[in-house]
Amino acid sequence: MSVVTESARGACVLGGINDVLSAIHRFAPIYHSGPGCCMQTCAGEHNNSGFLNSVSLPSSNMLEKEVVFGGEKKLRSTIEGAVEIIDADAYFVLTGCTAGIIGDDVQSVVSDFRDKGVKIYAIDTPGFAGDSLFGYEAAFKALLDNIVEAGLPKKKGLVNLFGIIPFHDPYWFGNLEELTRILERLGLTVNTFFTRRQGLENVRTSSAAELNIIVNPYLLKKASEIYEKKFGVPSLRIPGLPIGATDTTIFIRKVGEALNLDQELIDQVIADEEDRVYSILERTGQSLGYNRFAVVGDPNFAIGATRFLANDYSQSPEIVVITEPQYRPEDRERIVKQLTTLEYARSPEVVFESDYFKITQALDRHPEVDMLIGSSLEREYASAHDIHCAVATFPIFDKTILNKGYAGYNGGLSLVEDVFNFN
Amino acid sequence: MSGSALAPKKKYDGIREHRPETYNDYGAGSRFLEEGFRKKCLKNADRSFAQGLQCQQINSINALQSIEDSVFISHSPQGCVGCAALGTMQYRIGQAHRGIRGNRTPKVIVTNLDQKDIILGGEKKLREAVHAAEDRYHPKLIFVFTSCASGIIGDDIDMILDELQDEINARLVPIHCEGFKSKVCGSGFDAAFIAIGKYLLDKEKRPTQKGLINLFAPVSISYKDQLEIERMLNQIGITCNYIPFYSSLDKIQNITAAEASTAVCKVFADEFMKQLYEDYGIPYSHTVMPIGMRNTDKWLRGVAKIFHKEAEVEAVIASEHKRIEPEVEKIRARLEGKRVFICGGTGRSFAAAALIDDYGMKLIGLETPTYDIDAQTDIEYLNGIHGNFVVDIANMQPFEQVNLLNRLKPDVFIGVPEWAAKLGLPTTHVLDMKRPTFGYDGLLYLGNKIADQLENPGFNKKLASHSKLPYKASWYETDPFKFIDNSVWKD
Repeated sequence: MSVVTESARGACVLGGINDVLSAIHRFAPIYHSGPGCCMQTCAGEHNNSGFLNSVSLPSSNMLEKEVVFGGEKKLRSTIEGAVEIIDADAYFVLTGCTAGIIGDDVQSVVSDFRDKGVKIYAIDTPGFAGDSLFGYEAAFKALLDNIVEAGLPKKKGLVNLFGIIPFHDPYWFGNLEELTRILERLGLTVNTFFTRRQGLENVRTSSAAELNIIVNPYLLKKASEIYEKKFGVPSLRIPGLPIGATDTTIFIRKVGEALNLDQELIDQVIADEEDRVYSILERTGQSLGYNRFAVVGDPNFAIGATRFLANDYSQSPEIVVITEPQYRPEDRERIVKQLTTLEYARSPEVVFESDYFKITQALDRHPEVDMLIGSSLEREYASAHDIHCAVATFPIFDKTILNKGYAGYNGGLSLVEDVFNFN
Repeated sequence: MSGSALAPKKKYDGIREHRPETYNDYGAGSRFLEEGFRKKCLKNADRSFAQGLQCQQINSINALQSIEDSVFISHSPQGCVGCAALGTMQYRIGQAHRGIRGNRTPKVIVTNLDQKDIILGGEKKLREAVHAAEDRYHPKLIFVFTSCASGIIGDDIDMILDELQDEINARLVPIHCEGFKSKVCGSGFDAAFIAIGKYLLDKEKRPTQKGLINLFAPVSISYKDQLEIERMLNQIGITCNYIPFYSSLDKIQNITAAEASTAVCKVFADEFMKQLYEDYGIPYSHTVMPIGMRNTDKWLRGVAKIFHKEAEVEAVIASEHKRIEPEVEKIRARLEGKRVFICGGTGRSFAAAALIDDYGMKLIGLETPTYDIDAQTDIEYLNGIHGNFVVDIANMQPFEQVNLLNRLKPDVFIGVPEWAAKLGLPTTHVLDMKRPTFGYDGLLYLGNKIADQLENPGFNKKLASHSKLPYKASWYETDPFKFIDNSVWKD
């Protein structure tokens, strides 16, 4: 299923699993893999730096001896050491290509430890099974299979906020914080698993939530089915990151509807937030210019940014390139629909392409574009074609991002600041 | 050591562990280590528990990523180009510092081996990737890197590329850097140089250019450091062919035109320089990394000796010393007597240990990835100055590092700051890809940097009171070398 790709955006399955696990406080991934996989998968995912990362990750560092004779013995001693020294609430063994190809029985080694009472779980999806997006799904499956508890009573007002990938979305932390802030204004309690040092308890009791809010046009289809079937938690899919007033207001209304929240409260929060946003936006006047723009990035951001810039800021979208591979026709349709049902603006061309060179060929078809919002990779194209470039999608090489976000009311303001910052 | 060193009997296979008397896992006092190595009674050990390492493929790709007119193909699953992102960042910084407009990204194509390829082989995708590289960019060079996966499934990339070469204009260069073959990431540099020697250099030596030296430098060298090295060498009439960073096929082929070779890191191109001596008669200087006064002097003298410029270099050294000594004095007043723990790569760790002597600081612990005859030379010198100190032969292994730091409580930590910072220690990094570290100017820069951070440790102190390292309290009470066979902590 994987294809030859120039400038691939992201690492393998292990990278995506580690994005999730290392962002959960006191969760310890253990790599049963070659000697470089820890570093490679972290560097390939914006150097994800959570509870454990990169060269801090326990690893069996499989060498020739393990390739020939099997690595189960090395895995066993690696787990023993990890459990002895790492102060974690749960351990997960990840399977690298080497272990996957030679066929080590990771499950059986891990169950020996679990029999002794260690909270340790095997994820046997090997590195070569796919990209980090697939890894994100595999990590959720592992959490659902092993950590989330069935049969808990529902907790009023508790929601799970999913769909924003730690580290792989450069603005994940800020996005989760802003959406949490908004949901809390509606009187809700929010599980993200990844912010405010959330950990084992949040994952375990996520089955007590009234609703999963999945902010993503295509990820977590399987996980949402398991939540529904096994734990009785329905899901609301928000098909694209809500950026700015229009889409964030829609987001609030959808959540309100799904949870049957007090209409008066919803109206009041929306009025208050929108007034605040426009009290700031009115200061920009006409000085920010008018552009025909292209977006290159993941569908979550691409949808949010395109809709915001078109609907709320009167810029003209010309082409949107979705860089994350889409395998299900229904997902493609959902993404296209979000990008082509704009209030006033013309619809952009929507292209699905992950290969850097082919992306540049698609951009070549639109010489009218004078503003490009993409990753650090696209900066080269923009500078060669003298197009203003705003770097906002994965991967980003040239700035430090801590908790800035583009989601929500505040995120729209940040996007204006960054996109119209002509440097 | 120079070109007259004993020639290896067998051609080096690129795996660092295969060199005699090389140790990668050990923990001991420096005197014990010196003694044990001399008496050949150190046993090759292993760690039963370890944290992640750096594979050789990372170094192979990063070593070549900045060469002009090249496309890089990783014959691997998608994850194995993760560190290409780091190389890309370094390359972009390097271009910015060199004033290059229109910052380029290295063209890296991954064949993206998946479940089907693991069973059926990845040849088809490799052919597709090579054709894509040629058609898209018409490069002069296409480098193809192997991976754990391509190695285990047995794709014969030499044969595939050999066949493809008839259809492709670019030179196809296979690099054998399967991660599982070595735990020493330096092997990846060797794999790259072996391929350069085999595929890019002509059999005949180019006519020698008077005063030209091959300056081999790894990815971690900043432009400021390149300039400082060139400044120092220009003073004795030597010009540099800087390889392989920001070089090109022509510069690489011009390697054989040089009068001599040297490297700025002890474990970079050392075997390649031997090979150049054997194949082309090009002498070389293999001494130290030019960090700190003593090492810079030593490095310069080593180079000058092959060019028979001993007198000229003494004049340069004297004038440089005169220039910077008053400054060094000022910094020494701020640092004298402070106790230091150092963690770094093989080259940097020992170089930093020499540097701190310029400032009268005291070494109490050292982490370095490999111990061999070169390390022995350094340890003998350091033992003479500092007496006994703790040596952890480890590639990072932060769990051992924080255990040791917690026991030794140094005043200053030099190395990757991430973990020591959370213990509240003042930290300084000597591997700076943006700013100076080499030569006489680098010495002042680093000295001031260490002193400034010692003076103003606020961030780390505050961080330590809010952030906790991921280890159990009991670990800090345990023997730091518990997981290394044959090693025991002695206080």
